[in-house]
Amino acid sequence: MSDNNQISVLLVDDEENFREALARRLNRRGLMVSQEADGEAALARLGDEAPDVVLLDVKMPGLDGLEVLRRIKQARPLTEVILLTGHAHLETSITGLERGAFDYLLKPVPLEELVEKIHDAWEKKSVQERKIKAVQADGVKP
Amino acid sequence: MAALLEKIKRLLGREQEPVVEQAGLAEEFKARYLSFRQLLAANNKALELMSELEAAAGGGRVFGMSFLRSRTTALGVSVFQMTDLLGRLAPGKYPVLAPRLKQIQSQLESIAAPAEAGGGGELVLPLKAIDQSRAEEAGAKMANLGEMTNRLGLKVPPGFVVTAAAWRLLLSGGGLVQEISRRQQAADLENAAELFTLSSQLRQLIVDAPTPPELSEALAKAYAELATEAGGEVRVSLRSSALGEDSAEASFAGQYSTQLNVHPEFLEQTYKEVAASFYSPQAMHYRLVRGLRDDQLAMAVGCLAMVGGVSGGVAYTVSPLDPADRRVHLTAAWGLPRMVVDGEAAGDHFVVSREEPLTVVAHSVEDKQSELVCHDDEGVCRLELTGERATQPCLSQEQALEVARAALKLEEYYGGPQDVEWAYDRQQRLVMLQCRPLRPAEAKAAAPAPQGEPGGPEALIHGGVTASPGAGAGAIHWVQRDSDALTFPPGAVLALPRPAPRWAALVGKAAAVVSARGGAAGHLATVCREYGVPALFGLGPELEVLQQGSEVTVDAGARAVYAGRLDELLQRPNKRPAFMNGSPVHRLLSRSLELISPLTLLDPDSNEFQPDNARTLHDITRFCHEKSVKEMFSFGKEHHFPQRSSKQLFYKVPMQWWVLNLDDGFTQEIRGKHVRLEEIACLPMLAVWEGMVAIPWAGPPAAGGRGLASVLFEATANPSLTTGVKTRYAQRNYFMVAKHFMNLQSRFGFHFCAVEALAGERRRENYISFSFKGGAADAARRLGRVRFIGGIMDELGFRVESTEDNLNARLERNEQEATLEALKAVGYLLMHTRQLDIIMGNPRSVAHYQDKIRADLELIRGGQAPGQKASQPS
Repeated sequence: MSDNNQISVLLVDDEENFREALARRLNRRGLMVSQEADGEAALARLGDEAPDVVLLDVKMPGLDGLEVLRRIKQARPLTEVILLTGHAHLETSITGLERGAFDYLLKPVPLEELVEKIHDAWEKKSVQERKIKAVQADGVKP
Repeated sequence: MAALLEKIKRLLGREQEPVVEQAGLAEEFKARYLSFRQLLAANNKALELMSELEAAAGGGRVFGMSFLRSRTTALGVSVFQMTDLLGRLAPGKYPVLAPRLKQIQSQLESIAAPAEAGGGGELVLPLKAIDQSRAEEAGAKMANLGEMTNRLGLKVPPGFVVTAAAWRLLLSGGGLVQEISRRQQAADLENAAELFTLSSQLRQLIVDAPTPPELSEALAKAYAELATEAGGEVRVSLRSSALGEDSAEASFAGQYSTQLNVHPEFLEQTYKEVAASFYSPQAMHYRLVRGLRDDQLAMAVGCLAMVGGVSGGVAYTVSPLDPADRRVHLTAAWGLPRMVVDGEAAGDHFVVSREEPLTVVAHSVEDKQSELVCHDDEGVCRLELTGERATQPCLSQEQALEVARAALKLEEYYGGPQDVEWAYDRQQRLVMLQCRPLRPAEAKAAAPAPQGEPGGPEALIHGGVTASPGAGAGAIHWVQRDSDALTFPPGAVLALPRPAPRWAALVGKAAAVVSARGGAAGHLATVCREYGVPALFGLGPELEVLQQGSEVTVDAGARAVYAGRLDELLQRPNKRPAFMNGSPVHRLLSRSLELISPLTLLDPDSNEFQPDNARTLHDITRFCHEKSVKEMFSFGKEHHFPQRSSKQLFYKVPMQWWVLNLDDGFTQEIRGKHVRLEEIACLPMLAVWEGMVAIPWAGPPAAGGRGLASVLFEATANPSLTTGVKTRYAQRNYFMVAKHFMNLQSRFGFHFCAVEALAGERRRENYISFSFKGGAADAARRLGRVRFIGGIMDELGFRVESTEDNLNARLERNEQEATLEALKAVGYLLMHTRQLDIIMGNPRSVAHYQDKIRADLELIRGGQAPGQKASQPS
């Protein structure tokens, strides 16, 4: 499908060991991974280079993951966010999806499955981008 | 631009339609197709989760709250995604759907909501203030102890209870509850290595948690009062007293920790250690297999003045092994009763008749090697026994009768057999330490002892004490330390130097348990009886002849261990009790499933097929799937977008088949009315087609086109056949295709058939779903056909479900190649099951066609017999 190298991923999780290990493994799969330990830092990063896909922890000290999600979708509606969490909580998951999360995954997620999800999210983003471009080119009202 | 298009048109050289600039529409369609694919993926995930939950409810596996929470959450996510994606395909068309889903979700959530953690309450209660009515605060063990002294006047050590409220207070600090639940989420507790790791992490979290200041104060104050009462600085014992522990339904024997002879300086720390044993491996495993909810339980801890006993032990008011034996059984050791409770020593045994006047009717005195006594400063130590005391009985006849009398008093008071722990203090006064209901082993006919039978097998070891009756066979696995436990293979025989309670987590997986030391009175013996696992203890150093990995048969009833597997001894397999059934977690699952799995929206053509009639999550998924397929079909037509309208299939002649290209299902863009078979790039469709045409239909001609597939190959439309059919949609056979995806809908009169398949690179996502409904024949024949097709699909490895005359069959998670192979068989069945209506009344021809179909399928699938199921998901 796609060349992994095209996909940039931002990993936001306060648990350092988990984050570092996952970032290394995703990097090895050819994804361009950057990491942040909290929501504020993640939002600050959106200013310059918006990633294609954000992997976002829900329970973090400081800004809550759901709030970070809301702000990401506000600032960068095309960036896809996958919530990755250890908390199986139905209400949180639905709130997350309502705020535009691509998916809500419960840790531990097998790496293969996570990489596929990142691809799916990236594909959605690319399709959206192409659609917007085409609509503009056609001069048709969106 | 226009010139370029002209050129393309000339190159294509096909029947022409005006090409308009429709890049936006094309991209819009691409986006829709992506939404559709995501919806299908969510649908598959939801169906998988539902069947996983149903399988769990059906029994045969063990699951806990974290399983239930994670699966229902994931299911909620998938179903929500489906409604959301349908909303993208048909904006504003089904406004009722989302609120309806919300209602079902909130009903589900209210069922599974964590138990109210009752805030407030006393942190500490003096034992004097406690009876059964305070069990919710003090835990069962301490409530019993309070009752014994306050109601029955039996002597118990003075003390207090650190209550369930204190436990909740401790856990509420620093988000401990969330952290614990998060870590449990990720662990597989059936895996011993993960269980032990998680247990250690959770206990560490609790021990490390800061003690809330109000709890520290309450502990210090309660200890000061105890010291005053006991007349000076006292050492204490800290005993777990979990809520729900020691009830008749769940014994929790020895799963939690007890700390003896604790110095007041370490009171706070030790309290946390004992409380943390809520997460001991054996306790976690026990709650898991019993379906108990962590959030409905709590840990209270009893803090009692230490009884430096002369002797102590356990009393059972009936035999724990033989329900017919109603005499009181005492086991006693020198020093602290822990020797007996932990199964370290078999102990002296006394049997007392229950009829007045009580008499000791039998006793045996063991050669005692050591005793456990309080260390001067803190803790306990083991002293070697020499001289007279080693061989002397550690109870006098009078003492044995006194203990028996107290135990019977408790039995009478509680109205059932009891398991009582007691001690004689330095002043030779009887002190009761705890009591709980005793559940005797199921009555089992003793196996005939093959010993001495001519030609019978020779036992490797003979002797010991039956701790739990029955026989079991497996490979010997020695467990002396935690690392041995991590590698314990299910079905092995657990071999132990001593039956320590910490190995309880392994009992449920063992074929049998043997131990060099211990007797029938220890905690581990209780656990073995509860699990129905045969156990033979006190075998002595002889046990060491059993080599790691060697296969043995343990006949615990006949007290013998044999080499190899002796099936004649295993004739009456121990029926493992189905703990999960009726447990709190199981009940919760059953109630949740009522809102999850029944399918009530069955017929898409009926007026009832509406979102507000959806009763379950399954209904919602069914509705979304059905409507999304319709939406995909209608797009090209509604938007005057010929490339994404359906094309009539041209195979030698125009066929009654229409094909809609979703994305890359054709080898090239087709603008005309027809698509040729060789222009189809869809692998699943080509596989189905291959199956359809592989073997010509040899049956009798379908009179007047009866039977589903009779239309499939009608070269030209016969308008007379379609009269009376409701909609244009219903008259045709459709394929929706992409390179790896296909959705086939075929409908004629009352017959309806749908096949959906994905056969791509991701094995995990591949599937075939086949559904079939209706038929014009009478009900009996229709059902007969559903059963017939279901039987064949089952042989092909499909998971088959049928309700009334609906048949649904799924095959999932196979490699692309295997999925396509199975699709060929599906194509064949589509063609060749058309005669089934006619023959269903005649068993002989049913058998004939069954054989023919099996033979044909073997041919089509390149010699792979249908009986050989496609590879199953790993």
